[in-house]
This record gives sequence, structure tokens and C-alpha cells, in this order.
Amino acid sequence: MTLLDIHQAEIETILARYASKRSAVLPLLYLAQDTYGYLTDEAIREVATILDLPPTDVFEVVGFYTLFYNRPVGTWVLQVCDDVPCCFCGAEELIAALKHSLGINEEETTPDGMFTLQRVKCLAACDRAPVLQANLDYVYDVTPDRVDTLLNNLRERAAEARKRGVSGRFAEDYEFTRDGRLVQIERFSPYRPREFAGEASPPPVTPPPAVAPEADSGVDRSETRKASPL
Amino acid sequence: MGLTEHIVMRELDIPDISDFAVYRRHGGWEAYRYALTEKTPADIVQMVKDSGLRGRGGAGFPTGVKWGFLPKGVYPRYLLCNCDESEPGTFNNHQIIDKNPHQLIEGVALSAYAIEANVAYIYMRGEFAAAARTLERAIAQAYEAGFLGKNILGTGFDLDIYVHRGAGAYICGEETALMESLEGKIGQPRLKPPFPAVAGLYGKPTIINNVETLANVPRIVEKGVAWYRSHGTEKSPGTKCFSLSGHVNRPGNYELPFGVPLRELIESPEYGGGMKGGRPVKIIIPGGASAPWLTADHLDLPLDYESLAAAGSMLGSGAVIVLNDTVSAPYVAYKMDEFFKHESCGKCTPCREGTHWLVRTLHRMVEGHATAADIDTLHSIYRQMAGNCFCLLGESAVMPIKSALQLFPHEFEALVKRSSSRNGHQIPLTVRH
Repeated sequence: MTLLDIHQAEIETILARYASKRSAVLPLLYLAQDTYGYLTDEAIREVATILDLPPTDVFEVVGFYTLFYNRPVGTWVLQVCDDVPCCFCGAEELIAALKHSLGINEEETTPDGMFTLQRVKCLAACDRAPVLQANLDYVYDVTPDRVDTLLNNLRERAAEARKRGVSGRFAEDYEFTRDGRLVQIERFSPYRPREFAGEASPPPVTPPPAVAPEADSGVDRSETRKASPL
Repeated sequence: MGLTEHIVMRELDIPDISDFAVYRRHGGWEAYRYALTEKTPADIVQMVKDSGLRGRGGAGFPTGVKWGFLPKGVYPRYLLCNCDESEPGTFNNHQIIDKNPHQLIEGVALSAYAIEANVAYIYMRGEFAAAARTLERAIAQAYEAGFLGKNILGTGFDLDIYVHRGAGAYICGEETALMESLEGKIGQPRLKPPFPAVAGLYGKPTIINNVETLANVPRIVEKGVAWYRSHGTEKSPGTKCFSLSGHVNRPGNYELPFGVPLRELIESPEYGGGMKGGRPVKIIIPGGASAPWLTADHLDLPLDYESLAAAGSMLGSGAVIVLNDTVSAPYVAYKMDEFFKHESCGKCTPCREGTHWLVRTLHRMVEGHATAADIDTLHSIYRQMAGNCFCLLGESAVMPIKSALQLFPHEFEALVKRSSSRNGHQIPLTVRH
């Protein structure tokens, strides 16, 4: 069964959107990735054939974009943002907890093929920092002590995840409630104001590596400012 | 300085506006009907020009003026909606799509009518997978109601809107890189001119606008220019969805008129709610990762394009990151430049190599191996980058390190002192005493 046999109707719908066939390369690569688990060389060539493109052009695209995997990944790809401000709001602690629970490092896959862990750049949900995505489903408000709940939930939904694929074509967003349950966020749900946990005194955040406060000691600020080459 | 009525984040006034029927009941799609049946495209362009609407994506360029650059009589034209929101600190597009998607689609449809485009693409970052599905369903509802498709409302106007998902590349938010990506290539920017309005997607005249910009358009047409201009300042009319994040008690999106003081956004119990744990403000990054930094001295600045530019920074995308005194300036610069290094497309040397060397040097410094020469090296690297990069990504990467060196030079010096006092941690050949 080729990609074209399996997804004939969907591929035709995708191609009809664009004035040029080549524009369909990203949607078709997502489709191929979900069909084969990751982008094998054959899958990439298949996409090239459908679009009448030289295979090199499609390999180039796969190499450029971070959401295309050209080597095997787990059933669930966990991506944690470690950018500013996430890194100051608990991302490092979250990554450490995930590494500990899974027994792997970043960019590795668990031996049972269930989880791949990645550090990624900004996921555009900085108000919910630290931000995690599982197969491009946002999971909000994950804290180190909720990691095991999350992982167990994902293990239970492994069969579903295998069917859906890692490209987020059927993505849904999730969040933890304040009492620690993982729930799906209803689409087109009415807006409700966010509850901010402990508005009075939040838990202390581990300071990041490197220097900060001590750097200020014993240095005259105005002096050094003048001395700066700027 | 709160709003009595929100322009974009209307879910705060009407919580279930994400429902198509509710949106219709509150006048949704009526501005579009009015435009199609009673106004010419040129009327709408003039209206947007008069409203003073400025692009919310970062540059703040007047939207109506941009639309006016289209060459006359050249078709087909394309409208692209830029939803490749991925700069650290930005997250308002996401909320607009989740909570008020129909207004965005109406805005896209209205703007397509104004610029006489029959196809519009909404380019979303690949990570907005669930949001893309939300939009696709909202678009389907608009088709069912007869607002999209062929011969809309019997006026002879045809319009199709498609959602196109990227695949994880910040650079695709740059307008020409976005077009390259939409054409199925790697997202590397094109040389300008020609500008997209003249030769854009598939070489045809193309207009690219940000999500928030387009979501403003239906309200301008519905309520009129005078009403719109009654918000904000003379030169920056309307409101901005400020995305507040970092060490504040209530991070989130807050729609406020332009000109609201930074202090009010951060400290008002309705918005930021003050700093976490009452710690002092150390660094404010007012317009996404590419904006030069501000400090606690700037808390009284009004948030509009002109005031921030005068203070040496920029409003950019309105993503305000506030960091407290526990953070180290070199470490923030390192994390920010790591972002730009990761997202550099590799097309031009100053950006590809410059971001790489900035990160290598900064990494070594924050890991405790700083040498006195490193500070000069950093100055030298960003000076070679500034003004020499192909697109704004490389120029943006200069801002974090330049700001850090300018505002907190003593922290870099402290890193050097600390490293050289720890003998054995140095790289001996490069240490100068």
C-alpha cells in the first residue's frame, strides 16, 4: 500500500488548495510521517513522486523543519520549552523530573519505544510556563509532581496515539485542574477567567545557574557603566 | 485605564463568542455583509487607512498604507494571515484563535475583499495543531453560512480561506520566508525589493498581515473610524493585546489601549498583579525577544510605538517579559541568543555564524569559564552582525546581548572575575590577568 492508495481523497483535497503542487509538501510530509511513524527515506521519495519533485528538494525540507523526524521516535514525543521565560518558571525542574521518570536524556527514546524527550524553543504559551507538548497536544500546568500522572495517562492512551500519529493532525489540548486531574480542554468552550494559584505568595523558584545577585556586590554601577565601551 | 468594551479579545465581554451562533447574534459577519453589498473594496481600504490601524506583528506599519502598495490591475492577488507566532514571550494569537476565532476569519474575509483577493491562506506554526483544527472548523461554519465560497451573497465575489500549517521554524514568521515555506521550500527569506505587495506568493501581488491586525478589521468596518480612533493615542490608535509573562503574579493576555503605562500593566491587580513574591523588577523585555531591554527605571513609559522607540526599545509584538532580580543578565542573553541561533535559517553568514559564536562564548561564560577577552569578543561579534544580516532575525539576535552588555556590564565582569579566581577552571592560554 502506498501513501497515495491509503490517503487518495485527503491528498487530492490538499493538492486542490494550492496553485502549485509543491506547496503541498508540508501537509503531505505530515501525512507520510503519521502513516509510517517517522519519515523513512522511502516515505520522503514517495512524497517527492506524488509532487513531481526531485527527492533532494523534499529531503532538504525534512532537514530544515524541526517537526519532521527522519529517525524513529517514540509513540509520544514530549517537547518541553526551555526558552525565556519558561526556563525561569520551572522548565529545568520539569525536564529533570521527566528525565528521572523516563530514565532517558534529551533527544533519546525509552527502550519500550513509548516516549521521546526533546527540548524545544518557544511554544507560544508563555503565560502557562513551563510549557509542554505531547505529540503537539498542549498539556498545561504540568509540574514535576504531576509528571507521573501525565506519563501514566499517556501510556494508557498509547494505542490512540499510534493511530493518530505524531504530527498533530488530530491534536487536542489538555490541562491539569487545580486538584491535579488531567482533562481535555473543550474546543469552542466559553471563556473563563484563569485562576492564578496562590496569588499572595508563590513557591520559591530555584535560581538559574550563573551569577546574578552576588555580581552586584562591591561594584560601583555608575562607574562601570561609564567604563563600558558602549 | 481599562476598556469598557474589548475590540479583539471580546470573549471577556461575551464569554461564549467562540460559538458561531453567538458571534452572529452579536453582529458577527454583518460588517462583511455590509462591505460586500454596500461598499467597494477601495472604500474598505480607505476606511482602514483612516483608522490608523498599524500592523501588530512587530513592525507597526500602517495596514491601509500597506494595502495601497498593490499594483493596479494585477491579479490574482493573495492574502496571507501570519500566525507563525513563536518568539519568546508572544502568545496572543493563540488566545484569539481559541476564544474568538470567527472574528479573525471575518477579518481575513473582509481584508481579502478589500484587496480583491480570492484566496487567503492562514499560515500557522506547526505546533498550533489543535488551534489549526479549531480554525478549520470555524472556516467550515462560515462556508455553511454562505460567507465563503463562490458568488458570496449574490455579489459575484469568490473567496476561499485555507489553513496551512508550518512545521517548526520561527523564521517562517518573516514575510518572505513565510511565502517560501508556503510554496513548499525551506523557509529562507527573499531579497527585498520586490516587496510582497508587488511580487509575493507565486510571484503574484500578496498582502501579509498578522492575526491581531486582521482581527481588528471587522470592528473598524462595523463601528466606524471615529469610534476606533477614540481608543489609544493619536499615532497608535486602537488597542493592543499585550502578552505579559515572566515573574509576575498574573501572566496572560491583556487588551489595553495604546499608551497605557508599563507600570499599570505589570502592577495593576486586574492585569499583572505585581511581581511574584514582591521581588524587584530587573529586566523588562517589552516587545518580544528582539526588543532592546528596559529596566525598572522605565516603568512609567507609556506603551505605544513612539514612546518605546524614544526610550531606545520597541513595542514590537507587545510581548512583555518581566524578570526579577534573581536572574543573571548574561544568562538571559545566553538563553535568548540560543533561541536565535536555533532559529537562524543559515542563509546569511553574519547571522548563521554570529549567533553561533555568541552562544558559544556566552555558554562558556555562564558555565564558569569566562575570560577577560570574552567581553571584547562579544562586543566584536554583535558589531559585525548589526546591519549586516539578510533579514531581521539576525538583527534581532544582536539586541539581547547588546542590551545585556550595555545595562549590566558589571555582571559580565563579575563572571570573568569569578572564573579567574577559580584556578583550574580556566582555559589557561586565553586568560589575561
